[in-house]
Order: sequence, then C-alpha cells, then structure tokens
Amino acid sequence: MSEQTALLEVNNLYTSYGRIPMLLDVSFRLREGEICTILGANGAGKTTLVKAIIGMVKADQGTIQFQDEDITSMPTHKRIEKGIQVAAAEVGTFPKMTVEKNLRLGAYNIKDQKLLSERLEEAYESFPVLKDRLQQKAGTLSGGERTMLALARAYINKPALLIMDEPSLGLAPIVVDEVFRIVRRLNQENDMSIMLVEQNVVKSLGVSDYGYIIQKGQIIFQGDPDQIHESGILDNPVMS
Amino acid sequence: MKNKKLLDSPFAVIFCNIVLFLLVYFIVTSDYVLSLAIMAVVIVAILLVNRINLVNKIFDLYVKYKKTALISGLVLGILYPFSLTDNVYVAHIATLAVIYGIACLGLNFQMGSTDMTNFAPAAFMGIGAYSVAIASVKMGLSPWLGMLGGVLLSGLFGFLIGLPTLKTKGYYLSLVTMAIQLAFTELVRIWPYVGGDDGISGIERYKLFGFELYKRYTIFGIRMSPQIPYLLLCIAFLVLCTYIAMRVYFSRTGIAMNTVAQDEIAADCLGINVSRTKLFAFVIGGMYCGLAGTLFAGLEAYAGPATYNFQKSLMLICMVILGGMDNSIGVVLGAFILAIITEKLRDFADFQQLIYGAILVIMLIVRPDGIIPWRVRNHDLITRRKPKVIEKLGVSTNIAEKAELKSEV
Repeated sequence: MSEQTALLEVNNLYTSYGRIPMLLDVSFRLREGEICTILGANGAGKTTLVKAIIGMVKADQGTIQFQDEDITSMPTHKRIEKGIQVAAAEVGTFPKMTVEKNLRLGAYNIKDQKLLSERLEEAYESFPVLKDRLQQKAGTLSGGERTMLALARAYINKPALLIMDEPSLGLAPIVVDEVFRIVRRLNQENDMSIMLVEQNVVKSLGVSDYGYIIQKGQIIFQGDPDQIHESGILDNPVMS
Repeated sequence: MKNKKLLDSPFAVIFCNIVLFLLVYFIVTSDYVLSLAIMAVVIVAILLVNRINLVNKIFDLYVKYKKTALISGLVLGILYPFSLTDNVYVAHIATLAVIYGIACLGLNFQMGSTDMTNFAPAAFMGIGAYSVAIASVKMGLSPWLGMLGGVLLSGLFGFLIGLPTLKTKGYYLSLVTMAIQLAFTELVRIWPYVGGDDGISGIERYKLFGFELYKRYTIFGIRMSPQIPYLLLCIAFLVLCTYIAMRVYFSRTGIAMNTVAQDEIAADCLGINVSRTKLFAFVIGGMYCGLAGTLFAGLEAYAGPATYNFQKSLMLICMVILGGMDNSIGVVLGAFILAIITEKLRDFADFQQLIYGAILVIMLIVRPDGIIPWRVRNHDLITRRKPKVIEKLGVSTNIAEKAELKSEV
C-alpha cells in the first residue's frame, strides 16, 4: 500500500485559532485512488484539517504537498485550480441562484464551452435528482438535494482530490445511504481520490480504504478499516 | 396568442421606450402635485403589473432585442433634453438626476452585486469634483484633464480603502466606509488649499472642440436653457456607464461578485479569487462615483464640503435600495425618482425630509427588494440560446417558469 504515490501529503502540521492551538503535529498521507476517512468527535479538529488543506486556515508550521508540489502558502483559489474540490456543510450552495447556475459556477475554471456542456451532461446523468430542478433556486431544495448539488458541483471539475466534510450531516438515513453509494461510485468509476471527514463511523469505514482517527488535534490511530475495528479504539464512548 | 406575438417583437421594446420617455418627460416638467401623482401611479402600476411577472418579461425583451432597445433609447435620449426647452430649473433637475444615476450605478457594484454596503459614495464623488476644481482653478488645466484625473484618482482611492476593508465584512465594513466618508468631509473642510468651508468656486465649464457645453443656444428659433448641451453629455456618459455595467453583470466577474455576496466561503472553494473580486467592485464603483462627481462639479461650477457630505451618501444609498439592488436599470430608475422628488419638494422645504422618509418607509414595507429588484440569473440569456440539456430532458420551459415563480413566492 505504502509504495503507491501519495496524492496529498501533510507533514507535521500545526494550526491555531488565535492563541488556541488546534492541530498539533498532524501528518497523514492520501494515496492516489483511495478513499481515506478522517474520524473524530466534535471539536477534534477534523474541519480545521480540511480548512488547512484548502487554505482557509493558515498553517503555523509544517507542509502540505499536493501532487508533489508544496501548496502550504498558496491562496485558496490557486489550490482549487490545482485540482482539489470541497463539498462541505460550510461550503454552501448559492441560495438565490438556480441549480443550473450553481453547477456552472462549480466549473468556474473550465473555460472551454464544449467541455463544460459535456461535463454538465455527465453530472445530470450521475445526479438524476437535480435534472428536474435545474431552473429552481438552490435555496428551495431539500437538505439531501442540496448535498447532491454540492457533490455534483464538485464533481463537474473532475478533481484529482475530492474532500467531503460530513456529507451525511442532517440527512435522512435513506439519503445517507445514497450519498455513500455515490461516494463509492465516484471513487470506482471516475478514479477520484476522496478524503471523507465523517462522524458516521460504520458507514464511512464501510466505504473507505484507510482511516485516521483524530482526537484533540492529534492523530491517535491509523490503519485499515479492519485494523480500526479490531483495535477497539472506537469502543471509547467519546469516539463513537 | 396574437397578443403574445406582439409582445415578443422589437416594436414592444420601442413602445416601452416611448412610454418611459413620456413618463420621464411629464414627471420632470409638470409641477410637484402632478408629478408626484404621476410617480405614485407609476409605482403602483409597476407593482401591480409585476404580479404577472411582466417586468421580468420586459427585461428579457430588452436583453433579446439589445440593438433596437439601445438605438431607440439613444434617439429618445438625445431628443429628451430638447423637449425641456427654456425651463432652466427643470433642465437642472434633469441633469442632476442623470448624474445621480451614474453614481448609483457605481454604488450598485458594491452594494447590490457584492453586498458590501459602502457609506462613502459621496466621498468618491467629492474626490472627482475636487480633482476638476483643483485642475481648473488652481492649476489652470483643462477640466477634461481634471475629469480624467478625478476618475483615476477615485479608482485608486477605491483600491486603497478596498485593501483594509477586505478584512472586515458586513456591518463592520459599513462602519469603516462611514468613517472614511466622515473623514473626507472633515478633511476638505479644514484643508485651506481646497478652500475650507467655502470650497472652490469658479470651475471652468467643459468645452468640446471650442463648443461650450454650458451656454444658451437657439435652435429653430427656440431659446434653450443653458444646461441642455451639458445634459446631453451627461446622458451620453450615463448610457455608456449603463452599458458597461450590464456587460460586467453578465460577465464572469459579475457572476463572481454575486457568489461573493451570497456565500464567500463557497466562492473561495470554487476557485474564485475573492479579494480580487471585492477590489474590482471597489475600484469600478469608485470610478463611476468619481465620474459623477466630475460631472457634478461641471454643472455647479463649484465644489464644497457641504455638497459631498454624509447626507448625500445616504441619499445615494436610498436611491439604490429604492430602485432595486443588483439591477442596473432599477438603480438608475431609483436615482431618477429620488432626485426628482427631492428637487420637486423644494417648495415644501419644511416637509421635504418627512415626505422623503415616508416614501422610503412605504417602499420598504410594500416592496423591500426595490421597484425593479434583482433577477434570478437565467443562463440561456447569456449564451443567447436554449441550453441543450433542457431540451433533451424534455423539461418544458413552462414547468421551469412555474418553478421560478414558486421559488420567488
């Protein structure tokens, strides 16, 4: 496993909010073509890690490498151009714009009209929920549809790395299943590497190849889903 | 069916233009009772008509028959000043309204498109006006040079105050701009070089190839009021500015500004350069306001601190809110209405503020988005063809329209 090339490599990352340290010496690798899960309780630093990777929180120390390139001090929009996309609860959809406009905005960096319309078609095929609602404002969508829209919007760019921050948050169980099915499909059919940040331990370990457990800003365990289950570390009531 | 066809033709656009022209003409020329009555009727009519989404349809028509709309608008725009003939006061009001229209377009980039309420548009206007004043009175240069300098300088000023305000959002950004406005007024008041409280008077009028733009001319035996040629110049600038504003609205930058307004984090995560977009809004808005200021100085031949104070900023903001945020046409309409109301109510100087405030409060209760509010961005209007996907999927536009109507409710 380890001889595969790393797509994203975070080395000894420290971040802080003002004087409060948030991430302490976090290192992890995401190999090309795998689904990697970051698990942790509320306030463990999962979202901060995502924000650090896309450049919304500054790294105090340490490096972030993407495709063998140091992106530690790049502004967010440059990192997005490199091929990272985020679908997260705090990265909302634009409520006052139509679904179609939202999707097209996802492809802001695609300037080739033909390629763009091809990608749009693909997105409609992959996310059939959206195609009846193209002219509807995104603000009137249901929570599940909005998650789909965020996923579709990230998918349109065919990113090398797709980061998902709690895609199952606030969704009905049946929609959660659908979301995880899509996650797996994106990984298998489109060869997308996916970083999944979740609280839903069973579901996310079920689809992923590798997992990290983060607690109080530090990575306390890493391994295959089987190893994580065997280690019993999730039996700790705080973690599940 | 026939009705629908007639509505979807270039003639409809020309007809709308003529109706607008007549309305503006009557509102500007008649005395205050009649003009206020007409204005009230027009506003109520727009509100009623909008029940069946007609305003949006008319707007679509304008976009569709862009050339017809532009040419007929230009012809009427050129005719308009001549219809005012000898009425000096009316010509003055008309010129003021056009100048405020330009300033409001600038403010709209910040307030409407990017959702950054800028409380300092009058300061930008002041920079433009003082540039012209200094260039012509203190340095003896041509006022055109002053105009160029004023526009560039206010753009630069926009960039400079844009930089620190990148770090603040919402109310705090508004507070920063408010401070800048107050500082500007105070600065020009105590700076002896620019005349202090007295300001700078005796600004040279604009001349075009030796043709004076502020002078009485007699055309076909009719004596014109002196502002007429100047009004033509201002209208030309307004048309140019509206055109640029529309182009920006439909461009990638325009969309980027809207995304920043609605969700900054999401915009960032889609690869949009948020700081560049915000700075763009500040710079282009500043340049528009600066241009309005230079024209204002040319009209009054005077630049003073009392003209570009906080009150004027508030008035400009009210114009944008009244007309409709993020809609170039609406903003210009709002500027016209408020400029005319404030001038028409001069006779009731005591009640002017009261009526002015009452109009705003009523508007905000009845229609908080403004008379002609922002529209849901429609993608096929930009590419000027139906999106293929919709046809393929067989979603009839009827359903799409209904969905839009519903979502608007």
